[in-house]
Parts: sequence; structure tokens; C-alpha cells
Amino acid sequence: MSVQAIGPPIRVRGPRTRLRFEHFVMGGAILCLIVLVVLPLLTLLLGSVRGEQGMSLENFTEVLSNRLYVNALKNSLILGAWTGLFSLIIGVSLAWAVSRTDVPGKGLIQVTASLSYLSPPFLTAIAFVYLFSPNAGLINVLVRDVLGLPFLTFNVFSMAGLVLVTVLHTFPFVYLLASSALLSVDASYEEAAQILGASKLRTALSVTAPLVAPAILSGTLLAFVNAISLFGSQAIIGLPGRIVTLPTRIYALFDYPPEYGLASALSLLFVVITVVALYLQRAFLARRSYVTLGGKGARPQLMSLGPARWLVFGFVVLTFVVAIVLPYSTLIAVSFSKSWGLDFWKGLTLQNYKFILFEYNVTQRAILNSLGLATVAATIAVLLGAIIGWIDLRTRLPGRKLLDYFALIPLGLPGIVVAVALIQFWLAMPLALYGTLAILLLAYVGRYIPLGVRAANSSLRQIDPALEESAQILGASWLTTMREVTLPLIRPGLFAGWLLVFVPVIQELSASILLFSSSSITLAVAVYNLYETGYIEPVAALAIVNMIIIGAAIFVANKLGGGRIASRSGATQGLAS
Amino acid sequence: MASISIKGLTKSFNAGDDAPAAVSQLDLDIKDNQFVTLLGPSGCGKTTTLRMIAGYIVPDAGTIHVNGRLISAPGNVVPPDQRGMGMVFQNYAVWPHKTVYQNVVFGLKLRKIPAAQLKAKMEETLALVNLTGLEQRYPNELSGGQQQRVALARSLVVEPEILLLDEPLSNLDAKLRENMRVELKRLQRRTGITFVYVTHDQAEALALSDHIAVIHGGRLQQYGTPQDVYARPANRVVADFMGLVNLVPAKVAGPGTLEAAGGLKLQVALPDGIKTGDSVEVSIRPENIQLSVGGTGARATISERTFLGNITEYYASLDPGPTLRVQTHPAQVFAVGDKVTVEIDATQCSVFRSSAL
Ligand SMILES: Nc1ncnc2c1ncn2[C@@H]1O[C@H](COP(=O)(O)OP(=O)(O)OP(=O)(O)O)[C@@H](O)[C@H]1O
Ligand SMILES: [Mg+2]
Repeated sequence: MSVQAIGPPIRVRGPRTRLRFEHFVMGGAILCLIVLVVLPLLTLLLGSVRGEQGMSLENFTEVLSNRLYVNALKNSLILGAWTGLFSLIIGVSLAWAVSRTDVPGKGLIQVTASLSYLSPPFLTAIAFVYLFSPNAGLINVLVRDVLGLPFLTFNVFSMAGLVLVTVLHTFPFVYLLASSALLSVDASYEEAAQILGASKLRTALSVTAPLVAPAILSGTLLAFVNAISLFGSQAIIGLPGRIVTLPTRIYALFDYPPEYGLASALSLLFVVITVVALYLQRAFLARRSYVTLGGKGARPQLMSLGPARWLVFGFVVLTFVVAIVLPYSTLIAVSFSKSWGLDFWKGLTLQNYKFILFEYNVTQRAILNSLGLATVAATIAVLLGAIIGWIDLRTRLPGRKLLDYFALIPLGLPGIVVAVALIQFWLAMPLALYGTLAILLLAYVGRYIPLGVRAANSSLRQIDPALEESAQILGASWLTTMREVTLPLIRPGLFAGWLLVFVPVIQELSASILLFSSSSITLAVAVYNLYETGYIEPVAALAIVNMIIIGAAIFVANKLGGGRIASRSGATQGLAS
Repeated sequence: MASISIKGLTKSFNAGDDAPAAVSQLDLDIKDNQFVTLLGPSGCGKTTTLRMIAGYIVPDAGTIHVNGRLISAPGNVVPPDQRGMGMVFQNYAVWPHKTVYQNVVFGLKLRKIPAAQLKAKMEETLALVNLTGLEQRYPNELSGGQQQRVALARSLVVEPEILLLDEPLSNLDAKLRENMRVELKRLQRRTGITFVYVTHDQAEALALSDHIAVIHGGRLQQYGTPQDVYARPANRVVADFMGLVNLVPAKVAGPGTLEAAGGLKLQVALPDGIKTGDSVEVSIRPENIQLSVGGTGARATISERTFLGNITEYYASLDPGPTLRVQTHPAQVFAVGDKVTVEIDATQCSVFRSSAL
């Protein structure tokens, strides 16, 4: 091989400090993060201390002394505590059954947990209202009027009802973390205890339990934070039962005239709770690491339950029925009936679908808006996440850790708080964003950017920087290196992250409810509004349409991703880490 | 084809604490067409130096010129993609999502080479590194040695004037390493590319290099031909690092005369500034010591014997005094406990001031 110039060689250029393309990209990403997260939060802080005249803490005094707000706080904590407790019980039982026993139908447990996690909780809430509203609820009518057992009725408009509906959505957090922890406990730990003479129960309590406790506590705290942040179920079930919680109280503060100061102060109080809970959760999760440190052969021993396994199986089936079959069959039944009641089956009709799809002019707009917003928001969140993750891991930019930290903050922000912050920030800006699709997009990207950053971060970590460096030395620019090397290598991870954002965005209600306008209405808001207006049967039809769209979108996204599924464990990793 | 001139190159990580700089005040002149090795123990700053030459790390101070052109000065650093160099990484860094062909063709595509020339170039390069026929394989379908060749081919195909290699052979087994060593040397001669090669293996450095830069603690200790560095180490550190050596304390008894314990006397050329009465250390390579029975010279007792195949190694204890490691032809046999005489080829010894390091 002779050395002669082959075509235009890469020029050795003299040194010159200049801005390169990547500096603009990085600067842009940092700016995005500031606009999406930092500035709205600062506005929230400022708004909360702005009193009648000048700065004051009067909003906080009001929020902490007025019964209206203290009660909301109390209700939120009670809801969170009960939900956490029941999520713990159900989640751990199912996790134990899957990983430690010979219970039949383990697949069903996985399916139940995944579907419960994916189901929009406000739809479950509506379904339970159809069944258990005190007067007209189908099951209540059945036991009271037909069977004549009035003491068996159940009023869903109560704390118990709210907890029930919420737990159905939150127990998967405990289940997923607990089962993966249980599966990773090396069997030799347990065998070591048994060889010393410990009974099975003793082993479970003294060896296994302490090993998996951090994961379980961490899952419970996630369930807690999630439970208190849900606006839909708390409005649909809580308000008729006069159980006002933080999200619904904040929502009420926006009735005319809006009380921005109080809403901000209450939002900050809310954030303090979620942040403390998430801080504890991370601390617990950090201690989890020693579980997997064990050995290689994690071969947990399966306990033979004997006939009792059918009892456990019964519990599994019950969970499946209550969490999935009951709500969805109810919604389907209602959507096809002329009038919901004991003899609904006598008058089945397609009229509700016809009305929803062709006569109610909101639906089509809402569908388009939701699909568009979810697609764009997920794409932006993942790309921003990739850039932020890249800055964090591949550059020596001062303050990059801070950037990473900012990108995680939204994990601790309930949707309604994001909305309160965005409204105030953008009302103060000369740009008229309020009521447009753009402000919804900002809310979604801001809220879910942590999932994008996590996904990118964990994929980038697995890629040797030398792979990028070797493209660079061959003369590839930053953009070429990204396009040819980095992005193809992290694509699977980014795709999982994309789905992780897409799914919650398409069913987002907590922030949307304060930000939408008639032109920017989304699917979830459309369902909620229609329900509020007092329609019964068409709401169910719209709910089913909603579910079909979510399901189809996930299906298509999965197909496009080359069969890469945002695995269930991926789903909690995103939230848990 | 390309010369590199480095002046005062300095880099310290974590400027805050007072850990010593990873590389400090490094001067190095690498001529055209040379195979230069950066040699030193782990953590001495070899990789850091190489990555500053490539442009991945921004130096704190110092300049780098290539062919007389300034490419790196404080505040003015040409990024790697505009340096026109090639680099082979320790772990190869072959892109796992591209085939062998796609890996190698990458640099040519960036340079927008016309199709016909590109094809010829690819064939030539793949043949050069013995990869013909494996074009469509993905890296996970290749052995370590083959991946290594892909990494080489990827760098060579664009005919860089400078090729940087960071311990490219350290992940290969001994046999393959030997083969690749020969191939690398041949390649360098045929292409005339300037090679800057990082290794901590002194045998590898001696075998491959035109010049060796011995680095220790972030500082250049000696820069010279392999023979120089081996036979005329600039200081104790270099002597110690370049293979086995006996470092014997001695006193200067007169001009050019040293006396060590055990009645060992040597006539050597003393470095400048060493006067009669100074304490020094003499470095004596084991192969430069002769053992005999009943000769003239210092007396010693054999305290250990190790047969190594092509040589035999003895520990000979001067009485009274230090123990010397001696390597002899295996035909020359002594038993443990034998009284012998020690003769040293003083022309092959180096003398260092005792205080030096
Ligand atoms: N990115 C970094 N951050 C902080 N310190 C570093 C970094 N890279 C290297 N160092 C430190 O600089 C010193 C020199 O490191 P370098 O990698 O150049 O050593 P080396 O000679 O290549 O060693 P080895 O043979 O083990 O590869 C070491 O003390 C190392 O800890
Ligand atoms: Mg190194």
C-alpha cells in the first residue's frame, strides 16, 4: 500500500476557537430544560409568595390554617396511606405467589399487573360508578332491590371507594419491584439459613424479608406518590362523596376568579409531600443493590402449596376480575345499552358509538389532538433525554450534574402542579400559549422528560465512548457520529423510552384538565367533560374508543419498534429510578 | 510522512486536589516515518498523552505541531475529526451494528471517494490485514484477532499520516500477540505511516520501536532508540523498568573507579558532576556478569539456581554484600553453595547518583 492522497483528505486545520454545531444543540437542550422545568417552577415559587401587597407568606398561612385546605391535605394523606397499604398487601402477595410458590396461572398475574398499570384510572373510576353509585349503581340496585339485602350495598363515593379504585392502578408498582427483588435473591441465602435449622417461615422472615424489604418499601412509596397525584379518579369519585383532595382543591381554585397565589402555595405543599416520598423511595432503592450482589445462580425455591394453591389462585382470579374484567365489561355493556340499568340487555344499540364518533363534534378533534400530542411529546422527550444524557456522560461541561438533576425534578411534580406552574409562567410571557396545543405539549414533555433521560442514560452507559471516538478520529463530525454510531446503538433503549412516555401522555388528565381549550381538547379531557355533563351511555362508548386507541397505538408502536416492547420492568425502572 | 513535535504538554485531572499531574512538561519530537512507543507502568500517563495527540483531551498547557502546523495550544485545540489521524483502541471499538465492510468503508465515505477507487481501496486494505472474505460478517461473528484487524483496517484505509495505537495487542493471547507484532511492524514499514504506540510491555516496545519514550509519573524519563534505552538508561527508573537489573550501591574511590561491598571494583565512565567520595548506584544487567571458578575478582557464593531453558539464572551473594542476579549459558553449571568469582563487563554498566529518585 503506497501512501498517496486518496481524494480530498481531511484537512488538518489550524487551531481556531469556534462554535460548532454540537454547541448549539447542547445549548438548545439546556435552554429547553430551563424553559420546560426551571422557569415554571420558579414562577410557582414566586406566585406563592406574592401577596396583596408585595412579598408575603400569607398564602402559606392561609393554606395551612383554613380548614378547606387542611382537609384536602388530610384526605390526600389518608388516601395515600390506605392505597399504599393495600398496594403493599396485594403487590407482595402476588409477587410472592409468582416467585416462590407453585401457584397455577402465573401468566395471569403478569397480565393483570401489566393491564392494571396501563389502564387509565379515570376510566376504572367511571366504570365503578356505573356499578356502585349509591342509588343507580347496577350492583347496588341488584343487591338492594332484587335480592333485598340493603346492607350489602357499597357506596363508591367514599374514601373506601376511592381507595379501591386507586389501588387497582397502583398495586403493580409494588408487585413489579417486589417480584424482581424476590427473583434476584440467591437461593443459597435461604438454603444457608435452612441448613442451620431455620424453618421455612423463620427463613422467610429473617432472611428473605429483610433482603427484599427495600424494594417493597420503595414500590409502596411509588404507589403512594402516584395515588395522591391522580386527578381523574379523585374528581370522579371523591367530589360526589365530598372528599376533596389536593388535586381537586387546586382545580377548584381555578374557578372564576382564579386564586393563583393560593393555588401555587398549595401546589408547593403538594410537591413537598411527593418529593419527600420520592427521596425516601430512592434511598430505599439504593439499598436494594445488595440483593442482586448475591451470586449468579438465582434459583429461588418454589414452595409447594398443596391444595392451598387453589385458594391463592382464587385470589389471583379475583384480582383479575375486579381490576380488569369488571371495569371493562361494564364499560362495554354500558356503551351498547340504550339506558343503563338492571335490564340494560333488553335494549342494545350502536347509537352511542354513532353519536360519539359522528355527531359529537369534539371526539374526532380530541383523538387527533391526543395522538399528535403523544407522538410529538414522546419524540421530543426522548430526543431531549438523549442529548441531556449525552452531555452528562460524554462531556466535561461544568454543571452537567445539575442538568441531570433538573431533568429528574418533574418526577416529583403531580400533573396538576405542572399545570399551575405553566399557566402562571406563560400568562406572564408575551407569548399567548394558554389554551393552545403548545402549552399541553410543554406540560407533557416537561412532565415526562425524566423517563426520556433515564432511557437515554441507561443505554448510553452501555456504549463504550471509544465507539464514538473512533468515528470522530476518522473525520466524522458530531452530527455524523450521532447519526451513524450513537443513535443506532441506543435506538432500542430510546424506543422503549418513547413508549414509556407515549402511553401515559395519551391518557394524561391531571395537567390537561387545567390547560385545555375547546380547540386543544384531548381524549381524556373529552371523556371527563362528557361524564361531568351528565351523559352516561355515550361516555362509556367514548371510554371504549379511548381504550381501543391506546391499545392500537401501543400495538403499532411495538410493531414499528421491531418487536421491542417497553417491558414491564422497564416501566417501573423509568419511574423508580 | 508526518512529524509530530510536542512541547511542554501538561494535563492534570481534578485541578482542585494536589494529586500530581497525569502528564507534566512533556517534550517529544517524533520524526517522519517512525515507529515510536510510549512506554511506562500503569497509570503513568501514556493514554492521556496519546489522547491529547488525538485531540480527545484538551491539554492544560503545551503545544503540539504536526508537520510544523500548530494543532494544539492552550485555548486553541483542533478537534479530533479535523486532525486527519487514525487511532486503534485497546478494546478495538469496532462498531457492533455495522458489518466488517461497513466499518472499514466509513472513513472513505466521509471523504466522498468515487466508487471505483473506493472499491479498489477496500479490497487492497482488507487483503493487507487478511480479512478478505469476511466483509459481510458482524463483529460478534469475529474472533478477537479478527476484530483487531478490522480496527486496523478501518484506520489504515483512509491512509492517515499518523496512526495512534493504545495497547492494541493487550487483549490478545500470547501467540496471536506475537504474530500481530510482526504484522504491525511490517505494516508500518510498508506504509510509512508514523506510528505512535502505547504499551506497558517493555519487550514489545524493544521489539517494535524506532524510538522509545519512557514515561514515569507523568514525566518523560528518556527518549531514545531501544538499544540506548536498554543499555544506557538515563536514570535508575528507566534502568529498573527496562528488564531485569541489579542495582548495587557503591562509592567513588577515584576517577573512574567504583568500589562496592564485597570487594567489587569497577572501572567505569562516570557521569558528569560525580566526584570522588560520592555515593552512587551501579546498574548491572544479569547477562553482563560472568561467573567462574578460581578467576580473579570479587568472591561470591551461589545461593539459588533457576533453570529457564535458554539460560540459567543464579543468585550469587557477594560475601559480605548484596546478592546479584546472574544469567549464564545453560551449559555452565554451578551448584548451590559453590564458591565462584564474579566478573562484570563494566562497559555495559550505568552509574546513577544515589539520591536520584
Ligand atoms: N478521565 C480521568 N479523570 C481523572 N483522572 C484520570 C482520567 N484519566 C486518567 N486519569 C489519571 O491520570 C493518570 C494517567 O492515566 P493514563 O490513563 O494516562 O495512564 P496509562 O499510562 O494509560 O495507564 P495504563 O497502562 O493503566 O492504561 C492516572 O493516575 C489516572 O488515574
Ligand atoms: Mg492506558
